[in-house]
Amino acid sequence: MVLTNNDGCICAACGIAKKLGIGKKFLPYFQVKKELEAAGAVIRSSNYELYADLSQRMMDTCARFAPDINVYSIDECFLYYGKQSAAPKKGWETLGMQIRKAVWREVRLPICVGIGATPTLAKVANHAAKKIQGFKGVAVLDTTIIRKSVLSKMAVTDVWGIGNRLGKRLNALGVNTAWELANRNPTQIRKEFSILVENTVRELNGEVRHSWDTVRAAKKEIYSTRSFGERITDFEELRSALASHAEIVATKLRKQKSLTSSMTLFATSSPHDTEGYFRQSYFNHFTVPTNDTRNIIKVIGNAMSQLYKPNVRYYRCGVGLMGLHNEALFQYDLFTPSNDNTKLMACMDTINARYGRSTVHIAAKGFEQKFAMRRAFLSPQYTTKWSDIPKIIC
Amino acid sequence: MLKFIPIKAQAGIIGFESPAAEYTQLGLNLDQLLIDHPAATYIGIAQGESMTGDGIFSGDLLIVDRAQSIKNYDVVVANLNGVFVCKKIDKTEKCLRSSSHGAAPYYLKEGDEFQIEGVVTRSIRLHRPFKKKL
Repeated sequence: MVLTNNDGCICAACGIAKKLGIGKKFLPYFQVKKELEAAGAVIRSSNYELYADLSQRMMDTCARFAPDINVYSIDECFLYYGKQSAAPKKGWETLGMQIRKAVWREVRLPICVGIGATPTLAKVANHAAKKIQGFKGVAVLDTTIIRKSVLSKMAVTDVWGIGNRLGKRLNALGVNTAWELANRNPTQIRKEFSILVENTVRELNGEVRHSWDTVRAAKKEIYSTRSFGERITDFEELRSALASHAEIVATKLRKQKSLTSSMTLFATSSPHDTEGYFRQSYFNHFTVPTNDTRNIIKVIGNAMSQLYKPNVRYYRCGVGLMGLHNEALFQYDLFTPSNDNTKLMACMDTINARYGRSTVHIAAKGFEQKFAMRRAFLSPQYTTKWSDIPKIIC
Repeated sequence: MLKFIPIKAQAGIIGFESPAAEYTQLGLNLDQLLIDHPAATYIGIAQGESMTGDGIFSGDLLIVDRAQSIKNYDVVVANLNGVFVCKKIDKTEKCLRSSSHGAAPYYLKEGDEFQIEGVVTRSIRLHRPFKKKL
C-alpha cells in the first residue's frame, strides 16, 4: 500500500489489500495502522522521484509506436495516428499487444491499451481493456458490434468527463449506461446539459470533438500545499514554508505562461490534534496580474500577521493562485504598469531547469528545509539516485 | 524619420578565426556512447567474483539493457527468487553459468521464480574508487 504525502493517508492499494477490504483510499494511515500490521501489509511512502522516472520511461517507450504522443497525466498518454487513419498492416490489436509487451519488457509496468476513433472512445476502450473480462489488456473499438457491447457494459459515470453529479442527473433521465448516453440526441443534450456533454455524446459515436493533443485541461488554479513532517510553532519556519510553496506555484504559473490575479494562503493545525483546531487563511488580490516570484512572495509578509498565532502547532500550510490569465493575451493597464521582471524570472527558471529545483531561489524561503516530507517507508530510488542503484549478485 | 541600417563596426584588422570555433558544441557524452536504449536501460552495481572470466569484478557498474534481444550465452541480469543476479544464460541446458574458475552452473528447477531482466551491454571498472560517496 502506498501512502500520500507525509505518510498521511492511503493513496493506493494492491488487489489483495482491496479484497481484504483494508485498502480504502484516503483513510488516514494512523487510523488503520494496527489493522494493516495484523494483515501483514507492506507499506510504502510516495516515491515521486521513482514514479517520475518510470513515467518518463513509459512515455518514451509508448512514443516509439506512434507519430505523435500527448502525455495526459503521469500514467496515461494518447497516441495519435492521424485523421481517419487506416489500420496498420499488422492490425490494431497486434499493435496494441506490441505496445503493452514493450512497456512490460522495458519498464516492467503492466499497462492497458485502448484504441478508438476519438479520444473519448480511446478512453472507453482503455476502460474495457482494464475492467471487462476477455480483453487481456488491449481493446479495439473498431466495429459497431464491439462498441455497442462495451458501451452497454459501462456505467455512464465511467465515461470520460461524466462525473458523479452529471451522472446523477443523467440517471434521473433514465441514462444509466454509456450506450444509453451515446443514443441520446446531441442537440437535446446540449440544451439540457452543456456543449461538453454534447461533445461526449458525439465522440461516443465516433465524431471527433476533442482536439487530441490539447485534452489536458489548462489548469485554472495552481496549488501547492503540504503538511509538515513535524508540527511547527515558529514564525520564521511558517513564513519560509509559505515562501517555498509560493515559489513552487510561481514556477508552475510561468511554465504554463499565465498570470495570476488572486492568491490565497492558509495555515492550519491538525484536526486530529487534541488542542483546538486552528485554521486561518489570507486572500490577496493583485492590482496588476503577475507571475513574478518576488511579487507573489511579497504577499506572505502581509499574510503572516493573520496566519501566525503563537503556540499554535501548525500542521499544514499552502498557497493557491487563482484567476489566471493567459500571459500572451493579457491587456495591461496604462496607468498601473507591471513591475514583473520577466528576464530575471526566465533566467532563474533556466538555471533551475538545468541545475535542479531551487538552485537559485528567493532568500525568503530560507535555506534549511525542516518541512521536508516525512517518508518513513520510502522504497529505494533505484533509477534516479546513485546510492540506491540495485545490487546485482555475481 | 531616421533609418538605421544595422552594420557592425569593423576595423578591418582581424586575426584568423579559431578553426575550432564551429566545433564547440561537440562535447563527448558517455550516455550517448554507452546507452543504446535510454528508456530501457538500468544501472546496477556488481557484488561478488563469479563473473571475473567475463571481466566483471565486484564493485563494477553494470549497464543493463532490457530492450536487447537475448542470445544464448549472453551475460544477463536476471531476477532469481527475488534477487538480482548476473550470469551467463545457457538456454539449451536451462542453466545460469558463472565465468570464474570452479563455479558450478545453477540449473533452474521447478518452483524457481525466474525472469531475465536484461542484457549486460557494458560494464565499468572503477580503477580508482569514486572520490564522492555514492
